[in-house]
Amino acid sequence: MDLIQLFLAYAKTGIKTRFQYHMDSFLLSFAVFFREASSIFGVYFLLLKFDTLGDWNIKEIFFMFSIISATYSLFIMFFMVFRDFPDWIKHGDFDRILLRPRGIFVQMLLNGADWVAALSHGAISVLMFIVSANSVGIRWNATNILYYIVTIISGTVIQGAIFVFFSAFNFYFSKNHGIKEFVFWKSRRFATFPLSIYGRVVQNILMFVIPFAFVNYFPAQYLLRKSDMAAYPAYYMYLSPVIAVVSFTIAYLFWRFSLRYYQS
Amino acid sequence: MIEVNNLRKEFKKTIKEPGLKGSVKSLFHPKTEKIAAVKDISFDIADGEILGFIGPNGAGKSTVIKMLTGILTPTSGTCTINGKNPTHNRKNYVREIGVVFGQRTQLWWDLPLRETYGVLKEIYEVPDDKFKERMDFLNEVLELEDFITSPVRTLSLGQRMRADIAASLLHSPKVLFLDEPTIGLDVVVKHNIRNAIEYINKKENTTVILTTHDLADIEMLANRIVMIDKGSNVFDGTISELKSKYGQIRELNFDTNDSEAKERLVYAKHFKVNEEDVIVEQEGNMVKVRFDSSVIPVSDMLTYTLGKIKVNDISVKDADIEEIIARLYKHEVG
Repeated sequence: MDLIQLFLAYAKTGIKTRFQYHMDSFLLSFAVFFREASSIFGVYFLLLKFDTLGDWNIKEIFFMFSIISATYSLFIMFFMVFRDFPDWIKHGDFDRILLRPRGIFVQMLLNGADWVAALSHGAISVLMFIVSANSVGIRWNATNILYYIVTIISGTVIQGAIFVFFSAFNFYFSKNHGIKEFVFWKSRRFATFPLSIYGRVVQNILMFVIPFAFVNYFPAQYLLRKSDMAAYPAYYMYLSPVIAVVSFTIAYLFWRFSLRYYQS
Repeated sequence: MIEVNNLRKEFKKTIKEPGLKGSVKSLFHPKTEKIAAVKDISFDIADGEILGFIGPNGAGKSTVIKMLTGILTPTSGTCTINGKNPTHNRKNYVREIGVVFGQRTQLWWDLPLRETYGVLKEIYEVPDDKFKERMDFLNEVLELEDFITSPVRTLSLGQRMRADIAASLLHSPKVLFLDEPTIGLDVVVKHNIRNAIEYINKKENTTVILTTHDLADIEMLANRIVMIDKGSNVFDGTISELKSKYGQIRELNFDTNDSEAKERLVYAKHFKVNEEDVIVEQEGNMVKVRFDSSVIPVSDMLTYTLGKIKVNDISVKDADIEEIIARLYKHEVG
C-alpha cells in the first residue's frame, strides 16, 4: 500500500519532468517510434523476399515482435536505472539512495522510469499486436489470455535480470557500459526472428546464457504451435516464468553481494 | 550522541603497469594495493553540539562522513550514532539523519522545488499535518516562499543551498551532516545560512557535523573542532583551546623611516633563538615581525625594537584562526 503511494509519487515526478520539456519529449518519442518502426520495415521487406522464415510468416513474426516491445516497454518503466547505472554511481545519485530510509533495490526500481520511451515502445507493441493477434490463429480464450499476461511479466523480469546482473559489475569497475549494451541489444535483435533459424551456438546462448528465447520465442510457440518447436523439449513453452524467477534471483543475489564492494 | 572509535577505511587500488603488456597482465593478474584513506580517527560528539570537522583536501573528511552516514562500511573501528550502527539496519538509521552535500543536490532538478518536498514526504512517510507544520517552519527559517514554485534548475546557488538544507531537515533528523554548505556563496548568503543552521540547532537541539573550508563558518557556528590530516586526528578541542595551544604567534607591525631596519634588527642573535623563530619582512616603511610569544615575551620584543630603531607607529596582532590552521596544515606547528 505504502509502496504504491511511493510509486505514484515517483511516477508523478517522472511524468511532470517530461512535461517540462514538451518539445524534447515529443521528438524523443518520435525518434524511438521511428527507430523501432524502421526495424519492423526491415523485417517486412525481408519477408517480402522469402515469404516465410523457418516456417514463420510475417504476421507471426510481428506477433513475436509485439511481445518484445511490450516487455521492453515495461522494462524501461522499472529497470532504467540499472541500464544507466554507471552514471548513477558517477554522479553520486547512488549515495543518495543509500541515505534514504527505503529499500535500496526498491528505490532503484522506482527511480527514473523513462515514460516517453516506454510509451513509444508500448505504442509499437500495441500496433504490432493489432496487426497480428487476430490473424495468426490464436484463440483468445481465458487460458491463452492468462498465458499471454504471464509471458509479458516474465519477459519483463528476464530482461530486468540481465541488466541487474550486468550493472552489479559497476560496483567493481566503474565502466562496463559497452559489454552490457552489446550483449543486450545483440540478443534483442536476434530475438526478432525465430530461434530455429540460427546456428547451434547462438541458440544455446539465447536459451541458457542470455535467455531471450524465453522472452518471446517459446511463449509465441505455445500460442502459435509452429513446426520448428519439434526441435526443442515441449516443456520449454512453460518455462518462461521459471526462467524469470531463477534469472532474477541470481541477478538480485549477485547484485546484493556486489553492493559490499561499493566504494562511493 | 556520536561515538567514533579507531575508524579505519582502506581502499583497494589496482596498480596498472605501463604499456600493452602491462594492461594485458593486469587483466588476468590484477595487482592491488591497499590505501588507507582513513587510518585511525576517534572522537565523540555530545547531543546538540555543532562540530566543525576540518582538514586539508584529501585528509579523509569525505570518507569519514560517508562512513558516519552509512554509505561506506569501515574496514575496522566503530561508529555509533544515537546508539545505532550506520551500516546495520540502514533504513532505521537514515531516518534519524539529514545529509547535505554542498557540491551536489538532492533536489529534483527539472521540477518546481515544491515537488521535491512532496516526494520526500512520501519517502520519509511524513503524515500530512506534520508535513504542513514542518514546511511552515522551514519556510520561516530558510525563506523558501519566494522560489518554492520555481524549477530547481533556475534557482541561484544560495537559494538552492537553502532548499537543500530544508530537504534534509524535512523528516526532523536528530543529526545533520553538512558537507561544505557555504561553498561558492557570497558573504551575505553565507551569513544567512549560518544563522539558519544556528537557529535550528538551538531550537531543535539538532546535532550538527559541519565540514567546510571556510573557517568563518567554524568560528561562528562550531563549539568544537576536530581536525584531521592524512587520515588521522590532528586536533580535537574548542576554538579557544586551539588558539591557546597554537596561537602564541604574534605579529609586530611598525612604521619606520629607517630603510635598513631589517638588517639592524638582529632578533635571533640578540635573544639567542633560532632564525626561524623570528621572521622579519620589510616593505618600504612597513616592517612585519612574526614571532612566538612563548619563546620571546612581547615586552622584550618591544623594548629591543624601540631601542634599536626609530619607530613612528606600532601595533601587535594576535594570530587569527585562519593562520593557525594554515600553519597546522603545513605542519609548521603541532
